[in-house]
Amino acid sequence: MAGSDDESKLIDQSLSGDPEAYAALVNQHQKMIRAMTFRMTGSPDDAEELAQDTFLRAYRQLGSFGGGSKFSTWLCKIAINLSLDWRRRESRRDDIHSKWAADVVSGNSSDDGFPDELSRRVQDALNKLPAKQRAAIVLTIYENQSHAEAAKTLDCTEATISWRVFAARQKLKRLLKDLPHEQP
Amino acid sequence: MNNPELESILKRARLPEIPGESLDMFPRRVVARIKRNDPLARPQRSFSPHLAWALGLAACVAIAFAIGHWRGRMETGTTPATDSLASATFIRETLAMFPNRVRAIMQDERGINLVLSDNDDVPASTPIYARIYDGKHALSFVTFSGQEIQVAGQTVTVLANPRGGIILTGNQFLWSNTGRDYVDNHWKIEARSLNSIAL
Repeated sequence: MAGSDDESKLIDQSLSGDPEAYAALVNQHQKMIRAMTFRMTGSPDDAEELAQDTFLRAYRQLGSFGGGSKFSTWLCKIAINLSLDWRRRESRRDDIHSKWAADVVSGNSSDDGFPDELSRRVQDALNKLPAKQRAAIVLTIYENQSHAEAAKTLDCTEATISWRVFAARQKLKRLLKDLPHEQP
Repeated sequence: MNNPELESILKRARLPEIPGESLDMFPRRVVARIKRNDPLARPQRSFSPHLAWALGLAACVAIAFAIGHWRGRMETGTTPATDSLASATFIRETLAMFPNRVRAIMQDERGINLVLSDNDDVPASTPIYARIYDGKHALSFVTFSGQEIQVAGQTVTVLANPRGGIILTGNQFLWSNTGRDYVDNHWKIEARSLNSIAL
């Protein structure tokens, strides 16, 4: 379950204090983690910082990674929970700061790096979800986790995940109803 | 829009491309932060294999001893033979080990679980024994008046008065040892004060 032999070897070498081995592990998983933190924050800078925090925490806790799950799943759990903590910190910002930040974001929307309008609209819609609902969507839609796996990742019940996914879908449908959709 | 259509839209959404330079630099930035935060930092292994085996063996011996000890005591108890909480000595010793921190000692089919407060803020009072049977599973616990216990997903508040009256309240029921069940949820409940080990 721990992943490939190469990955296990890199984990062992990292545990022995080899920074190059850990850099290789980071390189293998950075795209997945950075995508996840971006979906959770909607900001490239915050996403990169959270991704770094994720790998930093993972390094410190590497000894507790028992191989009971995939290394990527374990990283994913750290990343999503750090993102939720980040959202909590963000929500404590005062209104003026938040409005100012929103103005800056909306002012830069034409140059935010999204490849197309649909991608930007989806991220805007995700940003409008409560953080826990967003986390449920990120895990179940983008990480392809089952509701049971997402429940383990977020330390809650499967019923809670199902409810969050249901509530998030209702909001997303409202926010994205004018987008052209294809029959899957 | 139905769920598969929504899912299709969400999956078609792509992220801004990360520049190649950023991808190259990222692992180095992480390693630099590790070194900067603590140049001697090493990820810690949880246990050495020898230590883990030794601790595992010691835990097995302790558990076997405890089960034998409690079984011996339970034969004289009034509660079911599988109920370790019948041992007054066990309860007294546990409470003495964590003064004013034990919120509950709980026992179900899986074993005994100690619920401790982070601080020594549990008021000293007469312990209360309760047993709840929901038709499939039995849960026994020793707790104190004012504590909240999680039972089958419900928060059950335990209250007692100085005359031995005990009330258990949950989201959907209210039970008292006066024999009146105000709202019945079909749980079988028994509860009594453990005056013999009053603190």
